[in-house]
Amino acid sequence: MAGAGGFVEADNAEAIIARIETKSSKIESLLKQYKPVEALKTALEGSPPKTLDERCKSANWIVVHRALMAIKDIEGMLNALDVEYYDILMKYLYRGLSTGDRPTCDQCLKIHEKLTDRAGLGCILRCLTDTINTV
Amino acid sequence: MENSLMLGGLMYPEDDNLSRYTDEEDQRRYVWSLEGGEWVPTLVILRLNRAALCVQWSAKENKFAVGSGAKTVCICYYEQENNWWVSKLIRKRHESSVTNVAWHPNNILLATTSTDGKCRVFSTFIKGVDTKDSKAGSPAESKFGEQILQLDLSYSWAFGVKWSPSGNTLSFIGHSSMIYFVDDVGPSPLAQSVAFRDLPLRDVLFISEKMVIGAGYDSNPMVFAADDTGIWSFIRYIGEKKAESSSASSYSSQFSEAFYGQSKATTANEASESSKSRGGVHDNCIHSIVSLSKAGSPKVMRFSTSGLDGKIAIWELENMQEELGHQF
Repeated sequence: MAGAGGFVEADNAEAIIARIETKSSKIESLLKQYKPVEALKTALEGSPPKTLDERCKSANWIVVHRALMAIKDIEGMLNALDVEYYDILMKYLYRGLSTGDRPTCDQCLKIHEKLTDRAGLGCILRCLTDTINTV
Repeated sequence: MENSLMLGGLMYPEDDNLSRYTDEEDQRRYVWSLEGGEWVPTLVILRLNRAALCVQWSAKENKFAVGSGAKTVCICYYEQENNWWVSKLIRKRHESSVTNVAWHPNNILLATTSTDGKCRVFSTFIKGVDTKDSKAGSPAESKFGEQILQLDLSYSWAFGVKWSPSGNTLSFIGHSSMIYFVDDVGPSPLAQSVAFRDLPLRDVLFISEKMVIGAGYDSNPMVFAADDTGIWSFIRYIGEKKAESSSASSYSSQFSEAFYGQSKATTANEASESSKSRGGVHDNCIHSIVSLSKAGSPKVMRFSTSGLDGKIAIWELENMQEELGHQF
């Protein structure tokens, strides 16, 4: 449960945030080169799920959000994305839907529909039941 | 019949003449024996103050285990002097309700799953009931209630658990649409987590050393198998036909179903009509899956599933050997 060995302490959070900032600049450059799929992959890689620190999660969310909104071709993006990222992407989609912000929700819903077709209800189940690795 | 209250659990051992175990809401529990054509109850002193959730006879049928909402497991054995069944409790370790228990073929190791998401293996060695093995390092060396292994594979509730026919592999279900396989259960186990597309499973059954059937919220049993390198994966739904075979008649010859019993909820007519329209046997979550083959046999040729729709279905695997492939 919370506080057990798997969680990162507060001082490591700084290191994580620094990493996220590096990721962020990389993503910006990828987006400038019109490579939104690469950008999303970079954003999803190394997501810090096993940390209680809200700042890390928010920092990573901002980066993922930026990449998600830049996606125009959803089918293409899902084709290019590895299966192991489906669960993480689904978690971020739910985070996006929870913001209530119109353009974000539009985009997230579109991606959600296609992702569910591919990954099935099991993917959604894994997001809902996993209270430990949250985004 | 003496049991006038709701039965919580019912478990039939392999040897039908011996006994049945029943659980009641008012916490009276009995083991029923068939003596001279009549079923005679023997009291079980269970010492539980919460609901009993699952019950299983051990391989030699001289013990049975009861998992409870009190975060404990009771292991019961027969005491000759007083003609009753007494229990020893495994009180420690579980952080939440014990949802399922499964006995290893050696009659001593017990696997349990719990809503705390973990699967644990305990020793249930009882002096006077179990005999010590002369081999060193065998499970008989452990004390009663000692935890041999704890598997932290699931992030959500854990449900059905079973051992493979040889006892080498353990499989259990996680509520997040996952099924876990652990080979070489012991000091250095090999665990695999398999995620699948659809709704979670509730119960699991080994039909051979390398093939497992899972049943759950999709109301349709799923087949998982280990390939030659030992990697487990989802193969197919049991009723699915391969692309080559075409006729509808071959579908019904592949498995035969029998509607064995009905609860008050549905009548036989309603049940068969609705299953035809949905194309599957069960209309609702399959809650448990039980082998109908002789215990200890390496392959299971018949099994039954029961669901929240009030139906019990019996599945024959005799004709499916080719379909299922060499792992069966």
